[in-house]
Amino acid sequence: MPSTERYNRQILHWGKERQQQVEAATVLIAGVGGLGATASQLLVRAGIGKLYLVDDGLVNWPDLNRQLLYNETDIGQTKLEVAKQRLQQINNNVKIELLQKHIDHSFQAPTDVSIIADCLDNYSSRFDLETGLAAGSFLIHGGIEGDQGQVLTLQKGKSQGLTEIFTGTRQPQGNIPVTGAGATIIAGFMANELFNTIFGQPQLLNRFLIVGLGDLHLTFLDV
Amino acid sequence: MIKVQFYSLIRILLKQEKLELSACENENVGQLLQRLQRQIATPFLHKLLDKKGEPILGTIIMVNRRNIHHLEKLETPVADSDVVALFPPGAGG
Repeated sequence: MPSTERYNRQILHWGKERQQQVEAATVLIAGVGGLGATASQLLVRAGIGKLYLVDDGLVNWPDLNRQLLYNETDIGQTKLEVAKQRLQQINNNVKIELLQKHIDHSFQAPTDVSIIADCLDNYSSRFDLETGLAAGSFLIHGGIEGDQGQVLTLQKGKSQGLTEIFTGTRQPQGNIPVTGAGATIIAGFMANELFNTIFGQPQLLNRFLIVGLGDLHLTFLDV
Repeated sequence: MIKVQFYSLIRILLKQEKLELSACENENVGQLLQRLQRQIATPFLHKLLDKKGEPILGTIIMVNRRNIHHLEKLETPVADSDVVALFPPGAGG
């Protein structure tokens, strides 16, 4: 299938040049859960060149309300293996590399990736992810809790760090409330910003997009 | 004037996005927030501070884009044209 036919709807929107940028791009998705499963799927459907997926989890029943790559037959299986299988079924042209690991202080991002999506669910791993990025890398952060979510882009070495911005925030005890619709909306904003970053025009650089899902309120906070 | 911006659950609690207060001489951000609560008559500091008046982990308090933990915490001075932001971020992913 020629890419001009496969991707013709989005080429109508963003043009051939940008499609070539997408197909030449490499992105790392940290965390293939509520945000990462959807963001990675949108990148793969758009024809991203190469995707790194980082996670160490197994598919559990409570994941199924929002983690759109998984279904009942996947319970107990490694998320990364299932995700890769599903994503390759969607688009086998994409190169997908799996990094089966928990992100901690030893994490180092692969050297061929400079656009990273923080789809993690805890601050400790988020801070370790940022530490493991090369200077100049773009980090697209996403977070959601209940009906509130946010997306932010930072450039390592030029922006304030996530650690600096989020100092004093606490990791909630127990499970974090989240719905499928909420996670999918925030993941959609993240994917949109990932494409903007691939095109060299991040719209949320040093700027939170804060989304109120309950009253459908969007606002910005510069950092 | 000092602009105070409310985000996420703080915005919903206070039913407004921002408020402007005149600057007071030698005021810090902790004192500003106390004054703000008196002015709007809606209790919200229990969401930000514990009984000892120390910041509760959960809400980012920024003065001019900087987290007050990297400034002088609640002692951070505020003056005319400063922007204070109160933002409890979502932690999940």
